[in-house]
Amino acid sequence: MTSNHPIIDFDLKETLAENRLVGLWQLLRGYYLRFIIANIAVAVSAFSRTATYVLIGFYVDKVLGTGATWSSLLLVALAFGGLALVQGGFTFISGYLASQTAEGIAQRLRNYLYDHIQRLSFSYHDRTKTGELIQRATSDVEAVRQFYQDQAMSIGRILLLFIINFAAIWRIEYRLALISVVAVPALVAVSYVFFKRIRHQYERYQEQDAIVSTRLQENLTGVRVVKAFARQDYEMDQFDRVSWMKYKMGRKLILWHSLFWPSSDILAGGQMLTGYVVGGLMAMNGVITIGDYLAYIGMLIYIIWPMRHLGRVIVQTSTALVSYHRMATIIREDKEPVNAGDYLPDGNVAGDIRFDRVSFAYEGEKEDESAPVLHDISFYVRPGQTVALLGASGSGKTTLVNLLPRFYDYTEGRILLDGVELTRYPRRYLRSQMAFVEQEPFLFSRTIRENIAYGVDREVSEEEIIEAAKAAAIHDSIMRFPEGYDTLVGERGVTLSGGQKQRIAIARAILRDPRILILDDATSSVDAETEEIIQQALFRLMEGRTSFIIAHRFQTVMHADLILVLDHGRIAQMGSHEELIQQPGFYRNIYELQSKIDDALVAEAA
Amino acid sequence: MSDNEKRQFEEEEFTAQFNGQVLRRIFALTKPHWPMMVGFLASIILVSLLDGYFTFLSKRMIDEGIIPGDRAQLFRLAGQYGLLIIAQSALAFTFIYLVGALSQRVRYDLRKKLFDHLQELSFSYFDRTPVGWIMSRVASDTERVGDLVSWSFLDATWAVINVGASFYFMMKINWQLALIVITVLPVLVVVAIYFKKLILVEYRKVRKLNSRITGAFNENITGVRVTKAFNREEKSLEAFADLSHDRYRAGFRAGWLSALFLPVVQIISAAAIGVVVVVGGLQVETGALTIGGIQAFISYIAFMLWPVQDLARVYASTQQAIASAERIFSLLDTPPEVQDRPNAVEVETLRLDIEFDHVDFWYEKDKPVLQDFTLTVRQGETIALVGPTGGGKSTIVNLLCRFYEPKTGVIRFGGRDYITIKLSSIHSRLGIVLQSPHLFSGTIRENIRYGRLDATDEEIEEAAKLAGAHEFIIELEHGYDTEVGEGGVLLSTGQKQLISLARAVLADPDIFIMDEATSSVDTVTENLIQRGMEEMMRGRTSFVIAHRLSTIRRASRILFIENGRIVEQGTHFELLRQRGRYYQLYTHQFRRELERQSALLGGRAA
Repeated sequence: MTSNHPIIDFDLKETLAENRLVGLWQLLRGYYLRFIIANIAVAVSAFSRTATYVLIGFYVDKVLGTGATWSSLLLVALAFGGLALVQGGFTFISGYLASQTAEGIAQRLRNYLYDHIQRLSFSYHDRTKTGELIQRATSDVEAVRQFYQDQAMSIGRILLLFIINFAAIWRIEYRLALISVVAVPALVAVSYVFFKRIRHQYERYQEQDAIVSTRLQENLTGVRVVKAFARQDYEMDQFDRVSWMKYKMGRKLILWHSLFWPSSDILAGGQMLTGYVVGGLMAMNGVITIGDYLAYIGMLIYIIWPMRHLGRVIVQTSTALVSYHRMATIIREDKEPVNAGDYLPDGNVAGDIRFDRVSFAYEGEKEDESAPVLHDISFYVRPGQTVALLGASGSGKTTLVNLLPRFYDYTEGRILLDGVELTRYPRRYLRSQMAFVEQEPFLFSRTIRENIAYGVDREVSEEEIIEAAKAAAIHDSIMRFPEGYDTLVGERGVTLSGGQKQRIAIARAILRDPRILILDDATSSVDAETEEIIQQALFRLMEGRTSFIIAHRFQTVMHADLILVLDHGRIAQMGSHEELIQQPGFYRNIYELQSKIDDALVAEAA
Repeated sequence: MSDNEKRQFEEEEFTAQFNGQVLRRIFALTKPHWPMMVGFLASIILVSLLDGYFTFLSKRMIDEGIIPGDRAQLFRLAGQYGLLIIAQSALAFTFIYLVGALSQRVRYDLRKKLFDHLQELSFSYFDRTPVGWIMSRVASDTERVGDLVSWSFLDATWAVINVGASFYFMMKINWQLALIVITVLPVLVVVAIYFKKLILVEYRKVRKLNSRITGAFNENITGVRVTKAFNREEKSLEAFADLSHDRYRAGFRAGWLSALFLPVVQIISAAAIGVVVVVGGLQVETGALTIGGIQAFISYIAFMLWPVQDLARVYASTQQAIASAERIFSLLDTPPEVQDRPNAVEVETLRLDIEFDHVDFWYEKDKPVLQDFTLTVRQGETIALVGPTGGGKSTIVNLLCRFYEPKTGVIRFGGRDYITIKLSSIHSRLGIVLQSPHLFSGTIRENIRYGRLDATDEEIEEAAKLAGAHEFIIELEHGYDTEVGEGGVLLSTGQKQLISLARAVLADPDIFIMDEATSSVDTVTENLIQRGMEEMMRGRTSFVIAHRLSTIRRASRILFIENGRIVEQGTHFELLRQRGRYYQLYTHQFRRELERQSALLGGRAA
């Protein structure tokens, strides 16, 4: 991809159309010329093929048996060669252009979908299954590519071959032309019906294939359970049942094939034979010449045999249309407008945050669950202060912090950042001011180095990365991997423990150097000793930044400037540690409980 | 994983040449189905001969019917032609059906063989072999091998016979010309194979890139929150665009190479037709060749394209299929590392003392996991294993279950070396609950029944009650008939753990093993299970790997395992008094666990 060329040159949304064929046509934008030339090339190629048979007629009638000489024969042979070159050349041109068109459009679709998917809203991703999206972006794109490469060209080729050869036969003798196509409608109909049936059968076969795969995969991933219960025989029976079913469906599928090809053979063969005989009789009666006859039986092939495939192409096209439709529904979705907003400060935010009677409900919740997830949340944080969030699971802690980068927009009330309503800031700007560390951080299957540097746009020096890793207490672990910072994360590399992932995510946040820091249960998976170390690093990191931390232990929570205790989406208690332990309630309960744990442990060990 | 093994898992590499031994073994797979093989071979040979004869017949129609004006002869030949079309259609039905059925059957046989063998293989095999790799062997390699002995063999037979028949009829018409024409055949074959190889390389690239693209989409979707939080959409798209462009290039190259194939072969054939035009033309002048003869030669040459193309395809796909077969055979030839010794005995019960006698074990040489490990467990004891990850806890349990066997030393049940006992005798008397419980798709009832296949519904409910699973199950809409989804995805980890506990309860084992089995169950639910677990452990020897204090406290003996050795052992209180490793673990790790629970549950459980 050349750098001066934008990856996505225009919005594919513009090409969508209600009619799927129109949509597919408009999707050709930028490739119209190539596509049309490809089809013209098909026509030229078909034309020269027909010309070859005309030449055979000429050769038999005018050259042979007239005392033909070397030179005249050589001329005819050269003409044959010339026509073959034209025919081959243009076949190649059409294939070349069709391939370029199909691959080009597929590439554009993939890039567009990739970008579009990552720009769709959080709520879209919440309600859409990953597997389904992947299917659209891969198999459906492939089906559309196949359409431009094969089906679109095949329909053109079959029809052009038919028209050109029919016209050529018509020039020889129009009654012969008419007789030669009697069986063609039947042939097309039979092929259409059969391929529809076969597609249906094929889908069932594929479904059974998926069942077999699932069964196998479950057996392999559950091998411990199988062995632990000594269920090998049972498993073999179960697998054999679905596998045998697949075999039977495969046989059924092949039965349809074995019925179709011979019956279409009889139709096509009968039509050919009729042509041979009628043409032969005409030649005997002098209606046509022997040369005409030979040209005719050559051309006859091309108005009959390709027709057998027309049904298949039509059925495949309808599959491509379904794929196109599924893809279009994704393209039609609106992106999250990351740049929308009328307030864009020059520098960084200070980090002064006010929640003013904020409520939030997820869109599209069921009626009976329409109660908002957050109710009437009000509090105020000055720049550089730390807010700790405490509460039972499901009390709305994570939802609350998700409102800050506008992953979701609050439904009631106002959030003010530096005195300006949050919804006036572009999302992109807001996010550039923040960093997140989640409980189960997502790392990309790239090197550890790349994962740590993920948060910053500029070039990052080796020292900076190591410094961040050291601050997150992960440097030593990284150095123990054989390839150090170049170790790949994930399936193709090392599997990291939950605690290691969290620390890499912390290093990623440290390097990003944000104004607002959000830590969602960020040290839950590290062991006690490591936690102490990270805690120090985090306290240093929080200095001078507005921070939100979700945590469960008092060591972490008690130093916060403001503690919010959430209960079913409401603020149940609010204040500093000193204030909260004075009042009865959730906070003091837990505080006492956790202190008691200590006492109990000490007592028991005594 | 060593480099050698890594290479083994690389997909689609075909290093295989035409290895005769492997080929023989492949064809031996069809032996039980020899009537199908004989049937399709006989019919394809006849079909192929007829394909050659039809061209000869239309030559005779011209020379004996049309040119001399012999109507009767024309009709006679046409009648013969018509009958042969019908006969050929019947044969076509036969061979398509038989070859398709044979292909499906060989695939089925291979699936069964592989699956059955996989059930016998040991854990060590599954440790070093990715599930995805095995899946491809069973899914795609069986198809390639099944197709090799059927479709590829069919294509090759048809092509060879067809070329032979065409050559025979050409010799019959004019042997000098036939000899000249046939020289073009080797050229065609060489060129065709050359092209097919080039194209195959590109298609392999395309396939590899496709799977990388699927991976990229997967990461794009599952990591979308991080991408958005860090504003990395552009960078992410740029990286994808490179991949997408590589796919474009490979696809386009494969496309135009394929488009070049046919024209090149056709142009070479055109040279042969040119020879016929000149040399044949001269012979017509001398009467050595008829007009029908010329027509037949042109047809034979034009038609030669198809067998040549088929041969090239078979050649290319056979290489792949042999590589596939080698992988399949290597799997089938892998001996299970743990298997019954000759004269292994059945035992009635495992309610016996267990003894580890100076056991050494390693997964990889030079990395010992257990060294000189000795332990005696009296029947009925509950042993808790604690200690750092990687210390050897799971290995002890795996050896006990005889998923692996000691490298040196002996494990005895009731004084008898356990390798002299039948594997099924041991496995059917174990009850195992694992940290990441594996469920099979199906209903909850079916999953519990896995513990004992002949259990009644009442017994299943009884087991679920004991395991503390009954309550949440009956709250589900379909109760015990609720589908758990593939791998149990529709349930939470805690619920899966409870169901797998019920499954073990139902099995009524002699030895009960839990590997951090209730780590994801909240404290409230865990209290529910306590009673059931106590019931379970009564009278049974139990091994528990646990983090949960409550579970560990109840053990009759706690073993602190570190670096493959028992560092401390004794009861809870004995170990606390020692103030050693267990004491440290207890005061650090368990305190955090309790604190976290208390905050998440809002002080409800303590």
